[in-house]
Amino acid sequence: MKEEDLGHRVTQHHGESAQSTTYKFGMVIDLDKCTGCGACMVACMAENNIPFRKDDINDKLVHNYWMRVYKITNGLPFPDNEVCYIPRPCMHCEGSGHHHNTPCLSVCPATVVDYDPETGIVSQIYTRCFGCRYCMAACPYHVRVFNWWDPKWPEGMEKYLSPDVSPRMRGVVEKCSFCYHRFQRAKDKAYAEERAELREEEYQTACTQACPAGAITFGDLQNPEHEVYSLKKSPNAFRLLEHLGTNPKVYYTSSRSWVQKAADVYMGSQGKGVTHP
Amino acid sequence: MKLDRRAFIEILVGAGLGAGAGITFSPLPWKLTDDISIWTQNWPWVPVPEDGRVSHASTICQACPGNCGITVRKVKDRAVKIEGTDGYPVNDGGICPLGAAGLQLLYGPWRVPGPVRRVGKRGAGKWEQISWDQAISEVVSRLSALRNQNKPETVTCLASSDRGTVAQLFARFMTAYGSPNFIGGVSADDTSRIAMSLAQGERASVGFDLENAGFILSFGSGIIEGWGSPVRSIQAYGKWRSHNGNGGPTLVQIEPRMSNTAAKADKWYPVKPGTEAALALGLAHVIIKESLYDTGFVQSASSDFSEWREMVLDRYAPEDVSRTTGVSAKEITKLARSFAKAERPLAVWGRGKGTAPGSLYECMAILSLNALVGNMNQSGGIWVKSDDNDMGWPRIPQDVVAENGLSKARLDGAGTDAYPLAKYRPDALPKVINEKPDVVQALLVHDADPYYTLLDSNEVAKAFEQIPFIVSFSSYFNDTAAHADLILPNHNYLERWEDVPSPASLARPVFGLAKPAISPQFATRYAADTVMTIAKKLGGAVSDAFPWKDYPSLLKQTLGENWGALKKSGYMEQRPERPGRFAFYSKFQEPIELQGSSYVYPLTMIPVELIRLADRTVGNPPFCTKSLEETELKGGDLFVQVNPKTCFDYGLADGKHALLETPKGKAKVLVHASEGIMPGVVGIPKGLGHTGYDDYLAGKGVNANMFLGVVDDPISGLPATWGIRARMVSV
Amino acid sequence: MSTPNEKDQVTAGGEQERVSNWRFLIPVIAFGVSFVIFLGIGWIAFPKFLYSEKEQPLDFNHQLHVDEMGDCEACHYFRDDGSYAGIPTIDNCIMCHEFPMGEDPEELKLVDEYITPGKEIPWLVYSRQPDCVFFSHAAHVRMAGMDCMTCHGSIGESEHSKPYQYNILTGYSRDIWGHSIAGFKKNPWDSMKMDDCAECHEENGVSQGCFVCHK
Repeated sequence: MKEEDLGHRVTQHHGESAQSTTYKFGMVIDLDKCTGCGACMVACMAENNIPFRKDDINDKLVHNYWMRVYKITNGLPFPDNEVCYIPRPCMHCEGSGHHHNTPCLSVCPATVVDYDPETGIVSQIYTRCFGCRYCMAACPYHVRVFNWWDPKWPEGMEKYLSPDVSPRMRGVVEKCSFCYHRFQRAKDKAYAEERAELREEEYQTACTQACPAGAITFGDLQNPEHEVYSLKKSPNAFRLLEHLGTNPKVYYTSSRSWVQKAADVYMGSQGKGVTHP
Repeated sequence: MKLDRRAFIEILVGAGLGAGAGITFSPLPWKLTDDISIWTQNWPWVPVPEDGRVSHASTICQACPGNCGITVRKVKDRAVKIEGTDGYPVNDGGICPLGAAGLQLLYGPWRVPGPVRRVGKRGAGKWEQISWDQAISEVVSRLSALRNQNKPETVTCLASSDRGTVAQLFARFMTAYGSPNFIGGVSADDTSRIAMSLAQGERASVGFDLENAGFILSFGSGIIEGWGSPVRSIQAYGKWRSHNGNGGPTLVQIEPRMSNTAAKADKWYPVKPGTEAALALGLAHVIIKESLYDTGFVQSASSDFSEWREMVLDRYAPEDVSRTTGVSAKEITKLARSFAKAERPLAVWGRGKGTAPGSLYECMAILSLNALVGNMNQSGGIWVKSDDNDMGWPRIPQDVVAENGLSKARLDGAGTDAYPLAKYRPDALPKVINEKPDVVQALLVHDADPYYTLLDSNEVAKAFEQIPFIVSFSSYFNDTAAHADLILPNHNYLERWEDVPSPASLARPVFGLAKPAISPQFATRYAADTVMTIAKKLGGAVSDAFPWKDYPSLLKQTLGENWGALKKSGYMEQRPERPGRFAFYSKFQEPIELQGSSYVYPLTMIPVELIRLADRTVGNPPFCTKSLEETELKGGDLFVQVNPKTCFDYGLADGKHALLETPKGKAKVLVHASEGIMPGVVGIPKGLGHTGYDDYLAGKGVNANMFLGVVDDPISGLPATWGIRARMVSV
Repeated sequence: MSTPNEKDQVTAGGEQERVSNWRFLIPVIAFGVSFVIFLGIGWIAFPKFLYSEKEQPLDFNHQLHVDEMGDCEACHYFRDDGSYAGIPTIDNCIMCHEFPMGEDPEELKLVDEYITPGKEIPWLVYSRQPDCVFFSHAAHVRMAGMDCMTCHGSIGESEHSKPYQYNILTGYSRDIWGHSIAGFKKNPWDSMKMDDCAECHEENGVSQGCFVCHK
């Protein structure tokens, strides 16, 4: 599937509002640099008021993680065993065509999910969600999580909750938002300075900011001045489950071919991939 | 007109329909639906965080010895996020999972809310809050009683480090009080300090210039999983990998287990555990034999080279080393050549995170490689730095009682003829106490969790029972505090001023000043102030030793002319200032023995240090515990890593329970069959098995330290325990 | 089951017709009466009971302060980072009212109960939206050049604080749905529900993306 490179578009709107720029926010994650430290996971939890439990605190079946670091191996025995860590935020799938058939968006019966053409961000509005979890079934990346329980913070810990992100009640699905609350805040600051355009460093997600190895890069995939623009063109760049046509906005780079192969599922004559949990 | 039944029904139906129509043509149902939906979207028990003015406060993280610069984002007066400070020389904006979860440490229910006294038995978790005056007078009465009995040496103070004004203040208190038993913590940095003292006549710390190295030979150091200053090391690694897969520095990892560092290394050499020193000297053998070493450096800046050279050539031929380590002679030769011929080679020392002091012989062997390639005080090499801890405070007055007490021998034996090189030996203390229960009448614990971190936990627990009076200054209900009698809580690191000496692993030291990012959330006090108040109440010479008003003014005075600059920027970059001199250690040593008979305990158990699992003074916050893999923690059980062949040999099943037993303890664990560890070796993660904190951490997993014993290093006297023999059986 | 009246049976014809007409009206009248009653319930009683009323902690005179200070931005200002300060904190009031400036009992209340003990005034905010809403004052005031009255009405000209009428089910101010229970609005500030925001956004060609207004 050919990826549309729309370039850097500026649209003029009617009325009193100023011209606005369209962006296509995405990420490039360097799997050679990623050390699997998990700082991105914890930074995301701290930024987005993610709840946690006493029992089964790290149980992945009832997990609540927006950014999650997966570990894959090449399956070979000691000492030829190799591992790779893959941080996986929401892919913010663009889908294809004019109506953006993003998987989770197309199945939601409650209009909870929205694809914003101006930023490319797939947003989730918690108040509308009634918890049917159809979107969780539709998402091929297991990005979405369900709040099985009401969040309960230990006494005193409610003080660290950020007002920028609404805490969710039980029965609601949530997912990585590319920290769009930071986009909102950055826009506020820009508006205060009477401009509509954002600079690259003004809007960065919490995980990108936290990563000590500098493995995550975030920015406007369409903007030649942003780092992600050139990084995504690297010969080592690939996306997860490319053949599904979800057109995700998160690219990965790895110099190891077994990692690249593990990113997709091959069928029959396409050759055998290597995927190990 | 009679209202018959039919009419009645007609009226009812008519009225009902009328009601329905009336309601429908009114706003009621529509408005009510809207209201109900709003109502159901805003349940009152879901918190609505209050908005307000956003501000940022920069300080230094002290959750681990890495000391990254952090910025706390606040909304009004609530701290809502911790982020790395851009441009701070240690971490430049990056942060580690523990630092990022720091607000859980600040606000969690495991904070000690004010001075508390134990109610009921130790460890029962019941406390009563008392006033500061009450708490301090209790301590004063106990301590002055001991002084009156002329037994000041029966007071012991344990701290995680002796560096910085606060630790030094505790040390000063002990001296003025009359006890020689101030025992700081020990780590791999201390072993390298001792190594340098052999060369330089005084202790000097060793830094590693990771950022500029070209060939990094790491002997089990978890460079990307918490070694040294964790974020700094990971950033250096990120820098190494910025070449798109072509070129850039080479990372070689030598380790029995495929740690993350081994996994991301360019080449991983799995060696038999405990044989790292042999491998290092085997490499040295090749480098010497093939004359690949820096003769200029060796001749001008080292000593004892010829004796050492003879020993190495004699005993560490590649064929011999190959048998010991399991790495082929060919590979040893190849590696030695690559290392010596590389541009800016650097050999890194400090197993895992660098927590365990390890074997001095191994440390010397690895540092020798650096000396051989002449990288001392060079870009990309090791840097020798001053270990000066002198605060410039006035001389400590000592009265007769103090002099008497100070003349007694240290309980931990450090600095005695038996262990002349060691400064502190905390792991030796439990055994000493258990052999002679009266030697410690009072224990003060500052910024440490010895109940959890000291080796041989069963021995430690027994020793704690012998001590009649235990006072903790911890901000949290950690394991030690949970077993104390009194807790006089210090401010959390986000709430206080404090000097933060540079982490030893940095090539260019960074001295930091932590400032309060948030006002104290509980009725806590500076531990330094508490100590000074206790001293003042004890009176006499003890009181005279503390002529300062309070800690913040003491800190300001101590930092002198640097105070202004430090307050503004938060840090000062220093110059390393010790000569790059090295002394080769030529006395042959056998590898450190493992405790336990190999007949009874056929496996070798080694501790594993994970970056997502805090295993030192601070316990794992819930966010970090949440980030653990399901092959590390499941339910409340800890996984140990075992090779599938070993599982097969011993009837262990992946994902099922087994009983892990060593000569020091036994407990139930889960088995994770992993191809990333050598057959015959069992890896156990450190950091779980707490008894303190609360249900988010306590009771999950087991404490790796309960399986390990204390094996004294024959040269340094510090614990060189790197593992222990073990056995496992399915349950 | 009714037994027909003997008299009715006997007369038959006209009287029977009168009976059936009358019978027909029973449900109709019942319908009509009930219809009117419930219409009244829906239109009059319902809004009366749906809303409860509270007084503001202090009776604030906006007009007086506007005359003194100039305009809205004197107390309701933008911070440096573009966020909006909203309702001012007590620090704002302290700037002038540290000691009472006049004789007004409300001002004395302000000083005694809030300024002196350093307590924040628990204002009841008419424009409070649920937590899911993200509103950027900078976008509307700075970029779109809207004036305060368009959304907030003429509160700046008020001399007394109007009582805070709130929906007993949702807890939000009556101003959000609007005082008209049917949702009729004349002025833009009469109602501030999501549809009102969306309407204005559409008219002005501004983004209709969900996360632009939600968090």
